[in-house]
Amino acid sequence: MGIHSIANMCAHLQNATRARLGITSLPNTKYNLHLALALQRAGFIASVTRGGPHPPAPEEFQTLEPEPVTTANAATRRLWVQLKYWNNEPVLRNMQSVSKPSRRVTADLNQIGRVARGFEAGMHKGLNLGECMFLSTDRGVLEVREALEKKVGGLVLCRVS
Amino acid sequence: MSAARPAARSLFSRHLACPSIAGFVSPSASPASCRSFHASPQLAAGRTKPARKNKGLSLVNEPGKKPWPEKQIREITAKKFPQYTPEELAELSKIYTKEQMASLQAGEAAIDPRDLTIQGRLRKDPYRINYLDDFSTIQPVIDKRPKRNQAPDPMARFMDLDHFTRDLIEWADQFEVGEVTGTLKKLEDFVPVEFRDKSEAQWPGKVRTDAHESYMAYLQEEAAKGKDGKSAQGGDRLLRGPTDADILSYILRRSSMTDKGLISNSEMAPGLPNKVPGVEGMYKNPVDPEDEGLDEEGKYQDLKVRTGMTVKEILNLRTVVVSRRWVSNQTRLGKVGGTSIAVIAGNEKGWLGLGVAYSTEPSEAMNKALLKSIENMKPILRYEDRTTYGNLECKISGTVVRLFARPPGFGLRVPHQIFEIARAAGIQDLAARIPRSRNSLNTAKATVQALQNQRSPEEIAMGRGKKLVDVRKVYYGGQL
Repeated sequence: MGIHSIANMCAHLQNATRARLGITSLPNTKYNLHLALALQRAGFIASVTRGGPHPPAPEEFQTLEPEPVTTANAATRRLWVQLKYWNNEPVLRNMQSVSKPSRRVTADLNQIGRVARGFEAGMHKGLNLGECMFLSTDRGVLEVREALEKKVGGLVLCRVS
Repeated sequence: MSAARPAARSLFSRHLACPSIAGFVSPSASPASCRSFHASPQLAAGRTKPARKNKGLSLVNEPGKKPWPEKQIREITAKKFPQYTPEELAELSKIYTKEQMASLQAGEAAIDPRDLTIQGRLRKDPYRINYLDDFSTIQPVIDKRPKRNQAPDPMARFMDLDHFTRDLIEWADQFEVGEVTGTLKKLEDFVPVEFRDKSEAQWPGKVRTDAHESYMAYLQEEAAKGKDGKSAQGGDRLLRGPTDADILSYILRRSSMTDKGLISNSEMAPGLPNKVPGVEGMYKNPVDPEDEGLDEEGKYQDLKVRTGMTVKEILNLRTVVVSRRWVSNQTRLGKVGGTSIAVIAGNEKGWLGLGVAYSTEPSEAMNKALLKSIENMKPILRYEDRTTYGNLECKISGTVVRLFARPPGFGLRVPHQIFEIARAAGIQDLAARIPRSRNSLNTAKATVQALQNQRSPEEIAMGRGKKLVDVRKVYYGGQL
């Protein structure tokens, strides 16, 4: 359970940046939150905030102290994401999910090393210029270079460029 | 003849056909009954009745017949053929010139109205026209177009050199040039008196040379005077030669044949000469001395302004035709064929442009495509001035082009259209694949688009807020 929401998230973020939206929201799941935080670390999105059905005010995005999730409000919680644009072009252009619930794709440390250097490894194609791959490891959701630094492999979630 | 006659005339013809009204016209010979609507002659076999003796068409004073009384003849003459009244003459003289009036009156005087009365009658010969007309007006549909000029001279030939020279001299003689006033001195005036009667060949050498020298000096002096307009001997007359209009008329109108300039009935308008005197050189494109004579036709002048390049730089660009197609425009008049040409232009230093142009004339299409491609040139990103930044992909229609950056020394291992484009752009290491349609025009478009739309790593890094370092350069200590 959970990995299907990653696929939805990929498609949704790609649609949102192509529509030149400033902010958008995602379902509040653990997987989505961790991937969103990894995207933020990689610089693809500006910020992630947990909020209600309505977005927080733009100035509150960085500072907002989210109210704790309770059984009363859990169903209405959403992740609000600020998208980034540079020179009139979206920073996040393509976001393709790799694993899906019926077929989970993993990459071990060897493969990660090759892929990060731009070579193909197994079924993984090498990363192109400016491309990132996100993995779900036992150290959390990491970008491929972070995973390489920490020497962990894991489940390949998506490729972003 | 299919042309309709005016109704009045047809009515008149029918009246003539009726013997009770115009008693002197035979019904069988009446114009209406003879009127044919086709070109073939009538069959004689169809006539069963023998032609009746025509009494009505006899002359007034036919021999063996009682002549008309003189009084009746005078009456009819005065009624049918009256003289012009002074008022009518005054009206006519408003329309016609004096000469025309004189000839009109001479014509009137030449024919006695009495003769018209006693001799005039309707024609009944086989060559008569089958309608009544006095031919005073030209009806464009029925009548042939009048030929105002004579037929061309059958003996006329193109002038040979002698003819031409004589003709030219004849033409030039109508202009007063130079020694027409008789006031200029001649060569003989510059020799001593004793030699004046002798011919030039008999003069001693010294005398002859002196005479020539002083004569030339005199002529130059006179010419200078003429130019200043100060000559006491009619200087402006001295200079009056054929004007530009005269020369143009000589070129256009003067016959080049030995027909003495006969104007004949020709459908051909005289052609324009290549160089019209007086206009020649006035509408020439100003030649920029910066071009060093490389662009005499002015082909690149517009492009020079648009691109800011010199003609030499433009000519040094690498241009290649990447696609040439025969295309047709289907109109209601049928298919109109034309050529569509795609040209790649590049300076081999990172500038690349594609121009596509169409024209019914292939050379014109080529020209247009060339100029467009140069105008469309844009800088492209090149990694280390030899390959692309990463792998690129672009899709135009059914054509997908994938370009792969390659290490130094790899070379251009690419399909031929992409090879030309890469060479024009100055890329030396590249691999490519065209997995789907290999249409040459779309391949060229997709390749150019892929190369021109590259994102630079700096731009990506700035967008993501990251610091970027090219490891290759760091590792080799900036030696690359």
